[in-house]
Amino acid sequence: MRMTERADKYTLSNGMVMLGEPMDAVGSVAFGFMLPAGAARLPDGCCGASNVIADWIFRGAGERDNRQLGDALDGLGLVRGRSVGSSHLTIGGALEAGNLTPALDLYADIILRPGLNEEQFELARQLAVDEVLSLDDDPRQKVMLKLREQFYPSPLGRSTVGEVSELKLVTAEATKQILKDRFNLSATIFTVAGKYDFERVCRRMEGLFESEQRQGGEPETLGSKQGKYTHIENDGAQVHIGLMTETVRPADENYYNARVAISVLSGGMSALFTEVREKRGLCYAIGARYHSLKDAAGVMCYAGTTPDKAQETLECIIGEFHRLREGISEEEIARAKVGLKSALILHSESSSSRASAIGSDYYILGRVRSLDEIKDEIEATSVESVLGFLRADPLDDFTVVTIGPRQITLT
Amino acid sequence: MEFKTKTLENGLVLIGEVNTSAKSAAVGFFVKTGSRDEAAQINGVSHFLEHMLFKGTEKLSALEVNEAFDRTGAQFNAFTSEENTVYYAAVLPEYLAEVTGLWTELMRPALRDGDFDIEKNVIREEIAMYKDLPSFDVMERCRTLHFDGHPCGNSVLGSEESIDSLMAEQMRDYFARRYAPNNMVLACAGHFDWDEICSIATESCSTWQRQNVERRREHCEGSKGKERVAKANLVREHVCLMSAGVSAQDPRRFAASLLGMIIGDDVGSRFFWELVDKALAEAATMQFGPMDGTGAFCSYIRCSHENVVKVLDTVRGILDSLGKNGITKEELNTARNKVLSSLVIKNELPMGRLVDLGFNWTYLEQYRAIEDDVRAIKDVTVDDVHTLIEQLRLGDFTQLSLGPERNGQ
Repeated sequence: MRMTERADKYTLSNGMVMLGEPMDAVGSVAFGFMLPAGAARLPDGCCGASNVIADWIFRGAGERDNRQLGDALDGLGLVRGRSVGSSHLTIGGALEAGNLTPALDLYADIILRPGLNEEQFELARQLAVDEVLSLDDDPRQKVMLKLREQFYPSPLGRSTVGEVSELKLVTAEATKQILKDRFNLSATIFTVAGKYDFERVCRRMEGLFESEQRQGGEPETLGSKQGKYTHIENDGAQVHIGLMTETVRPADENYYNARVAISVLSGGMSALFTEVREKRGLCYAIGARYHSLKDAAGVMCYAGTTPDKAQETLECIIGEFHRLREGISEEEIARAKVGLKSALILHSESSSSRASAIGSDYYILGRVRSLDEIKDEIEATSVESVLGFLRADPLDDFTVVTIGPRQITLT
Repeated sequence: MEFKTKTLENGLVLIGEVNTSAKSAAVGFFVKTGSRDEAAQINGVSHFLEHMLFKGTEKLSALEVNEAFDRTGAQFNAFTSEENTVYYAAVLPEYLAEVTGLWTELMRPALRDGDFDIEKNVIREEIAMYKDLPSFDVMERCRTLHFDGHPCGNSVLGSEESIDSLMAEQMRDYFARRYAPNNMVLACAGHFDWDEICSIATESCSTWQRQNVERRREHCEGSKGKERVAKANLVREHVCLMSAGVSAQDPRRFAASLLGMIIGDDVGSRFFWELVDKALAEAATMQFGPMDGTGAFCSYIRCSHENVVKVLDTVRGILDSLGKNGITKEELNTARNKVLSSLVIKNELPMGRLVDLGFNWTYLEQYRAIEDDVRAIKDVTVDDVHTLIEQLRLGDFTQLSLGPERNGQ
């Protein structure tokens, strides 16, 4: 089956790129503003400020105070989304298509005319601090955040939640300055997917946002990776293991070979699931996935297991990574391909997933891939191409983080 | 959308909602069984059994089962709650028949001793994993305290002890009693061929034997007990509150879900404005959970240890004020818009639609189109919510807190 999706694109006079993907079968619309204010783009010493900003800008904007703004957003039935990543702070949501225009009006206020009241700043900062503290009660999430921090060259892996010591020192003034420097509309990507009229949306946006170009968004210089193994002591029931190894980025010619290889390793009936969970019963939660930023990418793996089994689990996982390049069957490749293609199409039915996928494509690749292109590229891989890639670019240099009552030994 | 239904002679109900504009299709077996249907000595068996279904049949090994799913590119899984065990898969339309055939086979599992023993380790790991998730642990403990001997308080996972002592024979016996065709629904949603699904199910499931299946369905008002559990490795205070709600069969359930949204949606609710916006708590949500014959409102709050007293005073203040002053028309409208958006967005995916379709049949033996639910939500009035507030007494709650050790404790 060929896909028939259309890609909409328009650039506002201020430089903001607008991307759209209409979907016939839905009555909803999802939208997002990808603002270049992610964790890695902040100045040193204020880790977590993106989270403060993401809260603060919603505490009153334009003519509305905190409460009025919240009520106005809720009144539209907006299912809000907000996320802080390495590169972007993304705000948006999904709602019934008829309410898109008033929602965009409110978001223009939030981005261009936030109230930034000092009293509200303290509350936003307190919540950001509390969120970092809460991580100690969620070792599974914490281990993955720590892993990114250790794996990616600094500052790309910087915690998207923040550091308490730095958050405590961040002032309202400094945060305002960050916001002014970082909310660069010329480097902002706007995405919309679902039921909408692109021409109308563009006209509205052109009227809402100023026309002059802003400055900022210069590339950061990258530092080195952190340690190979980090352990955080915690008297919990399990040892939470996070493990990551470098692989190719989405722009690389071997990208699809890497995706198929990871799917063999950790798809449905994968090597990891079968060997670690099904045959040995070492874990309940085990899995690996591809994780990428624009300038670096890796295979990210998580396993949680009781202390006595932790060492065996780690060795078994690393063994499966190594075994992958020794041989993959035609059948395994065929299953991995069907799995990847089917996930692609299943996700394409959700307006929210499409709005976020087209934005991330554009940022990382400079263009939006069609579903057909992705399907064809997956289809073009073979046992030879995947093994060739794995042998030339082996997955065997691991960064490991554990949280739990026992350390493990990296051999 | 076209609704289809058929009942086999042994009582197995097949239902489907065909949507030819969908790009995918979803199928699920909804089995009306869960931890509330377990005696104490086999606690955890429903969930353990759910794992065992993937271990294969007399003809298929576990490996072959997984291979078969993967050949269809299915996104498949299962979940167990206090009262339902659901097996589902979402696939491209051309694979729905194949994956449905596979599920019908798996519903008559081999339950081999060897597989049972290995899987026991995985279950133990799952129990350990949830112990490290205080937000889950606190809800589970509060549920037990609230339901106080009522079977809805039974743990879904079971305890280490109950799992250790569970024998494969006990599971086989439980399976024979509960996985009867008259206690299950096979549902499909999205783009698929109804006649093909019917013939697969008829061929594969007609030999299943009807059983006498029972369940205790009485309402539970809840214990209103108060407890605090300390754990040395915790940093924050996790608080769960539960109070009695209406059942999944009760027409007041729509008003109840709007009331839950007004009090405790994650943004824009009374909890949000009084607790989260003011940074007293970093999380404060309430949800209404309708169940078979009973129901409960359940809140989860996470805050610093220093703020607990103030947070709980605020919660009591919010619930008291609801009793005294009620809700506003604007609040109801806002909640309605939010409930409707979420409902519509969720139902745009065949997988999302499947869940509502299957549960509506499980609880009501009734087909409800999305429009029926939309209308029911739109019809709720401020007076309906006020009547409910009077009847429910939300301020009379069971409370369980889980947090760090305090001095002298």
